[in-house]
Order: sequence, then C-alpha cells, then structure tokens
Amino acid sequence: MIQDTIRKFHEAAASPRAQMEKYMAEGKKIVLTAPVYTPEEIIHSMGFVPMGAWGADMELNRAKEYFPAFLCSIVQSILELGIRDAYKGASAIVIPSLCDTLKTLGENWKYAVDDIKFIPMTYPQNRKPDYGIAFTKAGYERVIRDLEELGGKFDPEALKESNKVYNAHNAVMRRVDEALAAHPEITAAERSDIFKSAYFMTKEEHTALCEEFLAELGEAGAEDKLAIVVSGILTDAPQLNGIFDDMGMHIVADDVAAQSRQYRTDVPEMDDPLQALAVKFANMDNCSVLYNVKKPRVQWIVDTAKERNAKGVVVVMTKFCDPEEFDYVMIKRACEAADLPLALVEVDRQMVHFEQVRTNLETFRDMLTM
Amino acid sequence: MAEEVKKPEEVKKPRKPLDPNSAKYKLGKIASDAFATAIEAKKQGRPVAWVSSNFPVEIPETLGLATAYPENQAAGIAARGAGERMCEVAEAEGYSNDICAYARISLAYAKLKECPEQDVAMPDVLLCCNNICNCMIKWYENLSQELGIPMIMLDIPFNPDYEVSDAEVAYVSGQFWDAVHQLEDLFGLKWDDDKFEQVTGFSCRASRAWLEATAQAKYTPSPFNGFDLLNHMAVMVTARGKEEAGEAMETLLKEYKENHEKGESTFRVEEKHRIMFEGIACWPYLRATSRGLKDRGINMVTTIYADAFGFDYNSFDEMIRAYCSVPNAINLEKSRDKRIKLCKDNNVEGLLVHTNRSCKLWSGFMAEMSRQIGKECNIPVTSFDGDQADPRNFSEAQYDTRVQGLCEIMEANKEAKEA
Repeated sequence: MIQDTIRKFHEAAASPRAQMEKYMAEGKKIVLTAPVYTPEEIIHSMGFVPMGAWGADMELNRAKEYFPAFLCSIVQSILELGIRDAYKGASAIVIPSLCDTLKTLGENWKYAVDDIKFIPMTYPQNRKPDYGIAFTKAGYERVIRDLEELGGKFDPEALKESNKVYNAHNAVMRRVDEALAAHPEITAAERSDIFKSAYFMTKEEHTALCEEFLAELGEAGAEDKLAIVVSGILTDAPQLNGIFDDMGMHIVADDVAAQSRQYRTDVPEMDDPLQALAVKFANMDNCSVLYNVKKPRVQWIVDTAKERNAKGVVVVMTKFCDPEEFDYVMIKRACEAADLPLALVEVDRQMVHFEQVRTNLETFRDMLTM
Repeated sequence: MAEEVKKPEEVKKPRKPLDPNSAKYKLGKIASDAFATAIEAKKQGRPVAWVSSNFPVEIPETLGLATAYPENQAAGIAARGAGERMCEVAEAEGYSNDICAYARISLAYAKLKECPEQDVAMPDVLLCCNNICNCMIKWYENLSQELGIPMIMLDIPFNPDYEVSDAEVAYVSGQFWDAVHQLEDLFGLKWDDDKFEQVTGFSCRASRAWLEATAQAKYTPSPFNGFDLLNHMAVMVTARGKEEAGEAMETLLKEYKENHEKGESTFRVEEKHRIMFEGIACWPYLRATSRGLKDRGINMVTTIYADAFGFDYNSFDEMIRAYCSVPNAINLEKSRDKRIKLCKDNNVEGLLVHTNRSCKLWSGFMAEMSRQIGKECNIPVTSFDGDQADPRNFSEAQYDTRVQGLCEIMEANKEAKEA
C-alpha cells in the first residue's frame, strides 16, 4: 500500500534520533554530514552510517554563545543540537567549507561539542581543472585519515561498491522527482518526507523504499493543482509544506539544495574510485555554493519550469544565506525575462509564525489563477 | 514666531599644508593616486581590473594592468557618508540588506557607474580571490553578470588546519599561472620574470616596513594612534607591489621611531589604556568610534590589520603560503595565536570587538576566539554591533556604553595592579 510506504518515509524523516539509535543498536557507527555536500560515499565505504545534519526547527539558545544573530539558522541549529546532545553517540561530523557560515561552524564545533569529532572537508571552487580535481582528492584523503582514526578502514574496492550504491540512489531519486511531477495527489509534505528521509536511512534502504514507492505510484493523478518549481537551500518546514498544500500547489520540480541538487551528478566509472569521486565533484554545478561565473543555475530553473509546465517559481530564501541572496537577483531577472511569475518567501529555522509566508503564497496563487 | 538668530560664520583655521616628505603626505598621495591612475589608464584605452583586497597583487603589477579595489572604494564611499544611499540602490535591485555592505555598494556602483564620494575606473576584468570570504565569489560573479566582463577566480579556501598543506600550495600555484595566462590572452599582455622579481621585491619591502612600523606600538606610550593604521592600510591594499609604497612605509617607520625617541605620538592625549580593536572599521562612524576611545584616553594600539597585509616571503612557494595565511583564511587556533601575540607584544589591556554585520566569516567564530584571547592574555573583552559600511547597523549609544564598561574594567585592573 502506497500509504504505508509514505508513512515509512514520514517516520524516518520525523525521527532522526530513533533512526540513529536503531543503527547504533546494530553496532554501527554514525558519521554526521553537514550541508551542502560531503563525500558520503567514502564514509559509507569505510563502514560508517552517514546521517545528514541539517539542523532542526527550534529556538536557538546555546548556539548564541558562539554565533551572532545574523548567521544562517540552519547552521546555528546544527550547533545547538550538538551542544544539547541531540547527536550524542555520533563518532564525527563532516563539515565542508562551502560557505562562510559553514567555515565558522567547524571552528565553533571544536569547542562547543567536544565528544563528536570535527572532520573538515575542504572543497576547491576551481574544481574542474586537473589541479582542482587533485585538491578535491587531497581533501578526501584528509577525511579518510580522520575516519581511520575512528576505526574505519579504507579499501578502494569497497569505495567502488559504495560509489555504485550512491549512483543507484541518485538514479532512483531522479526517477522519484520526475514521477512526482505527474502526481499532484502526492502532497508537498509527503514529497518533503521522501527527500528528507534519505538523510536518516542507509542509501540501500532508502533506494529500496523509493523503488517500492515508485512501483505503487500507479497512473498519473488527475487532481488539478497549481504547478510550481521551488528553489532554495531547505524547504522541510512542516508549516511551509502545509501552506503549499493549502494553496493547492504542486511541486513539479525543485532546485533545493537539500533535495534534488544532491542527486544530479553521478560518480563516473573509473579505475581509481577516489579519483572518480573527485571527478564527480568537478562535474557538479547549478548550485549557489559551487562557483560558476556563468550561473547556469539561473537558466536551469527557467528551463526546468518550462519543461515541467510550471506556472511559477517560488524561491524559499533561508534568511542570512548570502550565496542564495546573491543568486536571487539573477533568478528574478531571468524569470521576468521568461515571463515566468516568481514569488520570494523568507524562512528561518526559528520561525514559528508562517503567516507572512501564507499571505505571500496566497497572493501568488491568486495571481497565477487570475 | 521665534526670531531667527544669525549664527556668526564659523571661521575655520586654515590647515597647515602637509610636508611632502612626511609619511602622511606620501601615503595619502599613493592612496588617492591609486584611483586616479586607473581612471587615467581607462581614458588611454588601457585595460583596468577590479581586484579583491587579498588577491596576489604580484599578478596585475607584473603584467602592468591598471587596478582599482572595490573594497577600498566602498570604504571610502561609506566614510564620506554615502553608504546608505548606495546600499539602497542595490536593495532596490533585489539585493537583500543582509548582504555585505561593501558588495551592495559595489553592485550599486556597477549600475550607476558614478558616485561623487569615490569614483573609480570601470573595469574590463575582475580579479577575485576568496581568501577573505566566499561572499567575494558571489559578489564578483554578479559583477561579472552585471557588467558583462570576464572574471578570473583565484580560489584560496579556508584552511581548517594550522599549517598550509603542500596540496593547497600546488592547487593555488596552478591557479596563479592559469590567471596569468588568462590575462595574457585577454589583453595581449606578457609576463616578465624580471618584472615579477622586481614587484615581489617592492611588495616585501612595503610589507616589512609596514609590519615594523605597526610593531612600534610595543612602546608605552605608543608612538602612534592606532586609527592611523586604518587609513594607511589602504596603501597596503592597493599599492603594496609598487616601489613608492615601500618608500612611504619606511618613512612611516622612521617617523614612529623618532616619535618614540622624542616621547611624541600621533595619539595626542594622555595614553591611559591600550586596547586591541578587532574587525573592520565602522567607516560611516569613524569619527564617533575614534572619539569614543580618545576621550577616555584609550589608544587602539594594534589590530589584526597590522598582520593582514604583511606579505613577506623569500620564494614563490612562500608567497603562495602567505596568501593562504591571511586572517580570514585561517582556523581559530592560528587566528587566536596571531592576536594573542599582538596583544602581548603591544601590552594590550583590553579587547574591543566589532561584531560586523557585513562580515559573517569574521564574526562567526569571534565570540569563542575572543573568549580564548581574553583568558590567555588576562584582559577584558567587550563587543559592539556595527557595520563596515551600512550606517543603519550601528548605535553610537551602545558603542559608548560598551567602551565605558571596558574602560571601567581596565581602570579597576590597573588600580588592583598598582595596589
């Protein structure tokens, strides 16, 4: 039954701690992975269970001892959870330095959370030339050394297998995204659960559950909803998804860092699996934290919205996320030029009242249905 | 109706012209020439680059490319009172007011192409280096889009380790030569090893003199007012690869040494307390922030800027390592240790931290780092909220209260020590 499968996604998405405890009870070690990209394949290949740490909707208290108020609340809430022992039992956290706030998370983590090791992952921004690929590889080797200190063992053959596991998961997530574009009966909240649960399950389990879901999905739904494309870093707030659903909006594609941006690029097949993983990073693009002067992401949003017959684009801005704030101006202009209506809503991990978002999206819906 | 009272016309004392042999004159001239030279180059049809402050200047200097520094321009615009006006232009385009105010001012300038408070030559290329922040990448990406000109990106990632790795040196070196070749191809320029050697010589000479000049604060009282450094720093940003910068910095060093010998200082009141100032200056409130200290006899004797632009090296690899070790590219421990050294070398009694709304990276681990500095140096630490260029994010009353609090603790500490 599809409702059972959807419930399983929801349970995993809503209970990361229970998932973590389940794996730990099985004798597995947990390595947390912070936004936006981390070499999960390596962590997986070395016998750990990678679990996403994208923070939580909560009031910030202890994190304020470290961060000023004007830093992204996703990052602040990761530290808050760390200080409050929500991740207790995890062996390490891998934090990439892909934005300025993430750089400071790692530095603060060392002093705020002393029982979970901080493993930095330094990615290059000039990632495509050979010297960029070599630097990515050096960053991966640094992660491997740190994981070895925690008892992990690196084996290229195991990494080859993990690369395959992750490619298979990427593929199924792309199929899910495509399928959901034709299924307006799957709500925004359910869609969010499918993507979010991927962070709290092993990729093998999540791939299997997604396959089950796709098999059960059946014929395209007939509901007449308002097709939109959503863009942003994170869109998992239940209130936000509730509003999308209340407004009769159907997410036909996403450009969300915590969702589809994770699954666009596969590890290529190469003899050296670590080199292959570095080449994967070189091939990644269309993201606010990956340098590309041409900003192809902007056109990607417009093209995808047209391909999927979206009526509009909703940019969900995580407050204080400057990489996204810079890109927003270009996205707005490109949408205007393409005659594609766009709405901007601002969200925050500490937000309790979503009435402003509701009003914005109500107006947007009215505008699109006029 | 109240009778109109005619105020007597204020008679300003004519300023004594500066001695052209003084460091102040020389440094002021270099700083203002930096803008004028690029404007002149543009008129003559020569290419101009907009350059981020910690980009290796050795590249444009060796290639003979005219340069302008948007951060320097934005600071000038903010100091002359136009920060808010320019920020609002960018905000009207859709840029969030959470974005760095330097970036907003610069993007506003890219649209308006004029600002009487500080004009610059419009660029033909953008030279971006993110060793101070990743915000720089996004800012320059957008400039490239807005202006339709190429951008050369020299990526120097934040280093989570204490030492610079060989892998990082290899990565940055590869980019260095790629940047050179791209510029050669774009503008028909030619790299010259002899010129490069000359430029590195100039840069090291200026850096050595700057580091030694700022180190004169080791004397009590300090032979200079630390706010001088904020002005002189402009030369280290824009012209450290030029011969005249080294000469001017050596003059500055000579003057500071002479001040010490004669018992003089550019801090013109009694130096009761010595502090370290942390963060970029609040350019829109330079006078208010300076006066708040001076009125209490507090001299800001050192800042990390004393270190930030000291690029002294003996080889190509050392040069690359120096650019990988600028303040915002290094981890908490290395950042902390550099500051602790400055505090100890300069007999600092308190730390005043500018929590700069524009700079997420600088402010993001400042709380923990300043706690550690305070503990290690046994000095009080206080912070105030401000912004490097957007005047809307600063409250003079809060600043004054915080400085007063810091002053009282330093006084109490002094009394306890004397007792």
